[in-house]
Amino acid sequence: MSEMTNPPLLRIEDLRTYFYSRVKRAFVRSVDGVDLEVLRGETLGIVGESGSGKSVTMLSAMGLVTTTPGVITGKVTFYGGETPQNLLEGLDAHVNVERRDGRIMQASKDNQAWQKQADQNLRDIRGGKISMIFQNPRAALNPFETVGKQIAESVRLHTGIKGAAEAKEKALYWLEQVRIDSPGMRYNNHPYGLSGGMSQRAMIAMALAAEPQMLIADEPTTGLDATIQARIVDLLDDLKARLGMTMVLISHDIGVISRLSDRIAVMYGGRVMETGPADDVLDEHADGHPYTRALLSSTPRPENVTASGHLPAIEGEVLDTINVPPGCRFKARCQRMNDAVRARCDSREPDMFEIAPGRRIRCWLYSPQ
Amino acid sequence: MKRFPWKASAKVLSRELAATAALLLGVSLVVFVILYLAPGDPFAALLGGRTLSGAERDAAYEALGIPKTWYGQYLAWVGNVLQGDFGISTRSGQPVAHELISSGGKTLFLTVGSLLVTLGVAIPIAAIAAVRPASRIARSSTLLVYLVSALPTFWLGYMLIYFFTKQLGLFPILSATDENQQLSWLYALLPVVLLGLGNGALSEIVRYLREEISRVMSEEYVRTARAKGASIWRHAYKEALLLPVSQIIAAKMPFVLGGAIIVEQVFNWPGLGRVAWQAAQDRDYPVIMAITLLAAIVVRLGSFFHRTVYVAVNPRASHL
Amino acid sequence: MKFTYRQDVDTVSEYSSFSAWKSARRGDRLSVIYGLVVVCVVLVSYVLGALKWLPHDPEAMDLDAMMAAPFTGSYLLGTDFMGRDMLTRLILGIQAYFLPGLLAVIISLGLGSLLGVLAGYRGGRAEGGVAYFSNLIDSLPRMVLMLLVIAAFRPDIYTIMLVFGITTAPTIAMLVKSKVLMLKERNFIESAVALGLSPAVIIFKHILWYNCRALLLIQATIGMAEAVLLETSLSYLGFGVQEPTPSWGNMVQAGANYLMQGNFWPSTAPAFAIMLTVLGFHLLGDGLNNIFEWKQSR
Repeated sequence: MSEMTNPPLLRIEDLRTYFYSRVKRAFVRSVDGVDLEVLRGETLGIVGESGSGKSVTMLSAMGLVTTTPGVITGKVTFYGGETPQNLLEGLDAHVNVERRDGRIMQASKDNQAWQKQADQNLRDIRGGKISMIFQNPRAALNPFETVGKQIAESVRLHTGIKGAAEAKEKALYWLEQVRIDSPGMRYNNHPYGLSGGMSQRAMIAMALAAEPQMLIADEPTTGLDATIQARIVDLLDDLKARLGMTMVLISHDIGVISRLSDRIAVMYGGRVMETGPADDVLDEHADGHPYTRALLSSTPRPENVTASGHLPAIEGEVLDTINVPPGCRFKARCQRMNDAVRARCDSREPDMFEIAPGRRIRCWLYSPQ
Repeated sequence: MKRFPWKASAKVLSRELAATAALLLGVSLVVFVILYLAPGDPFAALLGGRTLSGAERDAAYEALGIPKTWYGQYLAWVGNVLQGDFGISTRSGQPVAHELISSGGKTLFLTVGSLLVTLGVAIPIAAIAAVRPASRIARSSTLLVYLVSALPTFWLGYMLIYFFTKQLGLFPILSATDENQQLSWLYALLPVVLLGLGNGALSEIVRYLREEISRVMSEEYVRTARAKGASIWRHAYKEALLLPVSQIIAAKMPFVLGGAIIVEQVFNWPGLGRVAWQAAQDRDYPVIMAITLLAAIVVRLGSFFHRTVYVAVNPRASHL
Repeated sequence: MKFTYRQDVDTVSEYSSFSAWKSARRGDRLSVIYGLVVVCVVLVSYVLGALKWLPHDPEAMDLDAMMAAPFTGSYLLGTDFMGRDMLTRLILGIQAYFLPGLLAVIISLGLGSLLGVLAGYRGGRAEGGVAYFSNLIDSLPRMVLMLLVIAAFRPDIYTIMLVFGITTAPTIAMLVKSKVLMLKERNFIESAVALGLSPAVIIFKHILWYNCRALLLIQATIGMAEAVLLETSLSYLGFGVQEPTPSWGNMVQAGANYLMQGNFWPSTAPAFAIMLTVLGFHLLGDGLNNIFEWKQSR
């Protein structure tokens, strides 16, 4: 899937989302300059450890980050409408940043005004053009309403259907599409009456009932039982094939990512470390970012177990996004650093180097020099 | 509507009713014991003001049909109350029930009206404070609420009277002889407003509501609603508004009733609060006992109302 | 409303100087400071009043300076409608509620903790019994109960405060109980027992002192504020201290007629005293609550 034949549907440029820790009086640099592209019709898998900023990236793009300060800089262009639209339009008007040595040390933000602006920007997009499903489906659904009513609400809001009976019919249709058992009965259930797997199906139905152009799935299988996880992944695979929709899948589970993604972006410490076609990124014998290599060789698979019976783990601790060191973010845990690049790894953060069309790696080992 | 779990809810609520009855029984016992332990003879009035003791008293009691043991007297009293007989006021000689009814309506008006005022003030302030916490209007109104809650209600009442009568000439204070006519609505507004603002619980109500609204706003299902482009309030109102408000009504009812005593004093309002005050002055036991019981009943009604709302709104409640 | 987030250093060390006070919001810090000031003033005034170290004779009537404004002559806060020094009377008014209020707070904390620990520790029927008792007491509006007790016993202020303390104990019991249950759930209590600590030590040192002292302190401030309001309301209604002994409540009541004639001061001075004091206790409690709550959540 090359970028020539598929135009992008969503493009994120230099997105920074920070949170402020009153305790430490410092910024948590959750998303620290992310560039991403989602091409039409593809499934982009975003993978990374907890704290890498993968969820926050997409939440920021949808204007759902309400904690202060939140999104500070960035441009998110959506190409699904008649004209390209910047979802973060007007952000600069409400934010003032001060940098020191290239790093943001102070940010002033009028969060209320910005939130209002963002809601306006995203009013037609949310639900109707881009839908989102979340982790923990039972908490994410309204506990006071039946599941069916919530799906029907999606229908009435975003498709042309206004009548109650027709909306219900549509909702039932989507419940069938997600292969939930006894859709008629489930329609009248409240979320607490559904199991984890069923409520996730219901949430998927609710997201798809709006007939969006893109679906963002934020850790849809995390928190579900292993067997249920597999079934949800099957469902998503099936829907992908049948509906041909564009999807962004966020997960820390490489297995899930590998099953469903066409392209993969690997995130670490609030930055994208590597992007490329799924097969290439997942191929541990080809070129790739040290972090991705380490991730792949530490996933619980028989091939990864060494002769002595150990499963390799990635040494070191997850990057503290409060104290981001100079140089490469992964340097403390990198196994492949050598003397040729050490000086650069320590002092300057590498750019994204394109080693092949559509294949980019943020590592000094792959710099053209 | 047909999916609503009527039977299960009815079961839960009838359990609540039974618990309420048990509580009221306990209240009646406490009330009775307090007065039983009081010095003096509660039946002095019936004995024609004579202080008797020993055998003479027992004989007199027997003649009047008064049980000799304390629990006998208690049961007799409760039995009467359940039939609507609250005894005779030692001050006026009139049946207490009669006084309750004639004054009760006025206090009811005061109470209900003041709840509306309280909620009408607290809800907007809490909503703004939750959604835009740092805005000038949120900060200043919260501060104002704190000040008002700390002010003594009686002083505030006098100031209100002064300003409205002397400065604006709006509400001429009618004398206490105005008891039987319809309440002139202008005159009636001031004490309602005073009780609404000055029941001492306003700051806590605002704080509680604000916390609840904030909490619900950051719930995951509200985020989902926002993500799907739906109206956030439509999803949040049950947990952010209905439930907290009914909880407030239930929990703060005692404050409202207590505050009514003060407010009725300031305005010389002919309601049960003033009757209670008078009864305390005169040591009119039947009256004060009846009013205390009635107050407890009203409080428990408030609780029951809250439970009803809870069961109606929360689909899981009937399954617990 | 623009918010500015600032980071002063490039690297932040993990445990560097975490102080709940320094990281607290300005509003909370001001609240606590104001509250402490009020507590000090009340305390000092109480001592002054008890020792009778007053600026003027409380009963001396200066007929030339009736209802004088503050700073008239030697009258720092003016005089009341009988020419008596306002400051002196306000100071004396504290006598009416200070010790009784303390009594109420001690009783409510003591009884409440006892019931709460009982309910949480033992659970089962003890919990049910405490719950019933709590609900029962909560069903009676405080003022109404007071009138009942007053009708029956004509009690002094200490007895009234005793009853008041009992009526506020259930709230504290519920709070302590939920703390105990939380500690139980987190196996604190189990481990303490396994370590061989005696129940008394567990209850007093570990449960109450280590874990409940913040909440008890805050409830104490609330209780004191309520006690002030109760005493002043009762003396307003005529059931507290009687003239000429001053109580802020009866001072407001006595000055009411003069207020209606446009002479605000005799009523307003004590009313403001009430407001500032109650506000002080409330803000102290609120501020501490916010600071502690947040300290725990970090």
